[in-house]
Amino acid sequence: MFSHKFIVRQLLAVCIGLLATVGLSAQEIKIADPASVVVIVNRDSNDISFMDIKSHKIIGSVFLGNNVNPHMAMMSSDGRWVVTGGTRANKAYIIDVATLTLKKEIAVGFAPEHLAFSPDGRYYYQGNPDDDSVSVIDMVSLTVIKTIRGFAEPLNITFTPDGSKAYVANYGSHWVGVVDVSRHELLKKIHVGSAPAIASIDPERYLGGIKGVSNVSISNDGRYLYAADGDLGIVTVIDSREDKVIKKIPVGADPWRAFMSHDGRYAVTANNGDETISIIDLQSAEVVATLESGPEMMGINFAADKAFVISSTTGFLYVYDMKGLKSAGRIKIGEVQIETSTTDTADEKLYLASSTDNSVYVIDAKTEKVERVANVGLYPWGTHILDSKDNYCH
Amino acid sequence: MLQVYKADSGQNKFSFKKKALGLYVQFVPLVCALAVPFSAQVQAEEATREQLLQRIAQLEKQMARMDRLEQRLNELETTAVLSDPETYVSRVEVFVDEDGVEHAAEQPGTHSVVTYQRERVYRRQTINEKIDDALSGEAASRVQVGVDAAITMQYANQQDGSDGEADGEFYQLASTDLYFTAEIAKNTIFYADIVGLSGTTPGSEIGGLTDINGYTARLRENDNQLNDLSLREAWLMTALFDEQLALTVGRIDLTSFFDSNAVANDETSQFLSDALVNNPMLGLSENGAGMAGVYDPKNGVTLKLGYQQSDSTATNLSDSLFQMVEVGYQFNPFGTGVGNYRGWYRTNNNDDGGSLSAYGFSLDQKVSAGITLFGRYGEAETLSGDDDEFFSGGVQFSDGFGFNPSDVWGLGFANTVLGNDDEETLFEGYYTLSLAERLALSFHLTYVDEEPDGADDFSYLVPGFRLQASY
Repeated sequence: MFSHKFIVRQLLAVCIGLLATVGLSAQEIKIADPASVVVIVNRDSNDISFMDIKSHKIIGSVFLGNNVNPHMAMMSSDGRWVVTGGTRANKAYIIDVATLTLKKEIAVGFAPEHLAFSPDGRYYYQGNPDDDSVSVIDMVSLTVIKTIRGFAEPLNITFTPDGSKAYVANYGSHWVGVVDVSRHELLKKIHVGSAPAIASIDPERYLGGIKGVSNVSISNDGRYLYAADGDLGIVTVIDSREDKVIKKIPVGADPWRAFMSHDGRYAVTANNGDETISIIDLQSAEVVATLESGPEMMGINFAADKAFVISSTTGFLYVYDMKGLKSAGRIKIGEVQIETSTTDTADEKLYLASSTDNSVYVIDAKTEKVERVANVGLYPWGTHILDSKDNYCH
Repeated sequence: MLQVYKADSGQNKFSFKKKALGLYVQFVPLVCALAVPFSAQVQAEEATREQLLQRIAQLEKQMARMDRLEQRLNELETTAVLSDPETYVSRVEVFVDEDGVEHAAEQPGTHSVVTYQRERVYRRQTINEKIDDALSGEAASRVQVGVDAAITMQYANQQDGSDGEADGEFYQLASTDLYFTAEIAKNTIFYADIVGLSGTTPGSEIGGLTDINGYTARLRENDNQLNDLSLREAWLMTALFDEQLALTVGRIDLTSFFDSNAVANDETSQFLSDALVNNPMLGLSENGAGMAGVYDPKNGVTLKLGYQQSDSTATNLSDSLFQMVEVGYQFNPFGTGVGNYRGWYRTNNNDDGGSLSAYGFSLDQKVSAGITLFGRYGEAETLSGDDDEFFSGGVQFSDGFGFNPSDVWGLGFANTVLGNDDEETLFEGYYTLSLAERLALSFHLTYVDEEPDGADDFSYLVPGFRLQASY
């Protein structure tokens, strides 16, 4: 015989199950196609907004919590999740894209900023620059399964196309970390370059602060990596098969990173030290053009055979003809501070975050016509589109 | 395992439950009498065990809480500022209707208005960020001061011709530029450059057509006055029309705006000889009051217009009006590298009330990442009727062609032929060793051959060095 308590328990469990099932099915599907949205990171309103890519209407936003200050967002390759690192909350946030709900908060290291998904979407690597670590989050269990230590201000993370290795850029040093993804271990450090010997009489330049490697950019075929070093003014070319430095290319002063043109022909560095860009021919691994640009360059986007360089504090987009390798004017966005931008998958439009007027500007790459989408959130810091070739952060 | 489920001593009846099956067993008092001592012991042990488990669980909770608090404390102590929510003022565009009601988006019957609004946000900043913001805000509102100091040492060794005054002499010049820059309004800056010169240069004693040391160009009114303080430039610049047009008004050096060249235009870091810094056919002997307008839509084409007073002794601008126009084009011919090509035309009033004109070209063309060719040409009218002519050319090496990555060196030549048949040919080679970010040491070797009309030819070899500091 079963007791009445046992029966009550069983009934309760069934009821809870039914209620849960009904509740889940009742949750509204807000985004059916994850490729149809622009993800916007709003640093000061502490939320992630989702904008319809056709109508430019805000579909909804997911609030993360006070003082979270998200830095960068990325969508998983299957479009199921959007993840972001809350820089001032020391947490990673997992958002369910379909329902626009915050699925989970996960404690990571100090000041999480840049991040990347493994190509198969299984792992989410979250860089924690103030913690000199990378948190590895398993996207099945949604837990941190390992914290890889030993970096020096790790910023951007780049996976090889086969997902076997990840390259971690260290802005606080002059080396690139190679991570074995199967074991989530730091395998080796690739030295990108040395300060000239004569630097010993100018120690303040190298000891006062460091501008190392902010990003490791990868060629379309995954064979070569390009690491720009700010202090050394070079782009170091690494063969990903052997993890060996094969060339060091001098560029302008204080290159922020190398941005890869979509056709795989050029890498373009934004040299904030002398306000120029260096265009590197990837076939010859030589600088083929050095062109004047603006101050405080935050990013470069490619579309319609042009390169668009974001000069943050001036509110200008400097435009370059990538066929003629020459200047092609500039677009005045406004008396605003502009941040970073993403390009749609058709290479037709740019979606530029403008922090000081809480807007996203949509720029037609061909006609250079600009449309403002206002009130997307407070201090939009970056944008992201699934499968875009220009998904980057500061 | 059997567990005590219920003890009801008043009824002398004990109940046990077998958890897995949910069965109950009841014992009669007779059996119970035997079971009491055993059950009491079990009960005591179970209670102790429960207490221990509870204690362990409690300790684990406390440990986890301590870990969290420690992490939080560490975070607060090292990075975060305990502050109120951050507030800042943002520029907002709103749409106002006829009734004065604001709308966030444009609607029929509304017009756009720019206003300012305080935002209150939950943005936590680190102490470093707070300090940096405060310092940069203060620095932006102050006058910026810069110093550019140089010492040049040169030795003149005569190669040909009758004994000259300069042969075997050393010359040293100390030059200090003090720069003042202040942003006085949006896209509007004030700039002043005061230069102090002390010492000697070989130019005055060699007596060539151009200055061997470009530091003194357009500053000396008298070759013997080399211990003086001069206001080189003082101007106000504003940028208009989306910063496509820059207007500069004040005491200016038009050669800073016109006839520029990427690799042969700066005596502080490139060639030292004035013939490899500027085109002598510009005909500017000194700086003066004037204006320069530069239209640069950033598409490779630039248009420049300017004028200045060319003679400080003139009593009015009309009698000493120097006017200039230049068109520049930047492109990448055949993918060889970036090239800058400029053509200019100028007129200058002369003492007879007439106007003499000149034209010229300046180009620099990269042929590889570290090699840049340059050239200049110019032709100027003279009062004698025959034109003055000038051309120069050379090459600069950088980006890894030296001992250090930032070292630069170059070779250049220049030829000047005046309308009266005076001729000068000059060669210069230099190597700039970048000692530190703000300190450079250059070695120069100049050969100058002078062929004055109606006099003996003479030539000099002038080795020298330049120590340059900027901060």
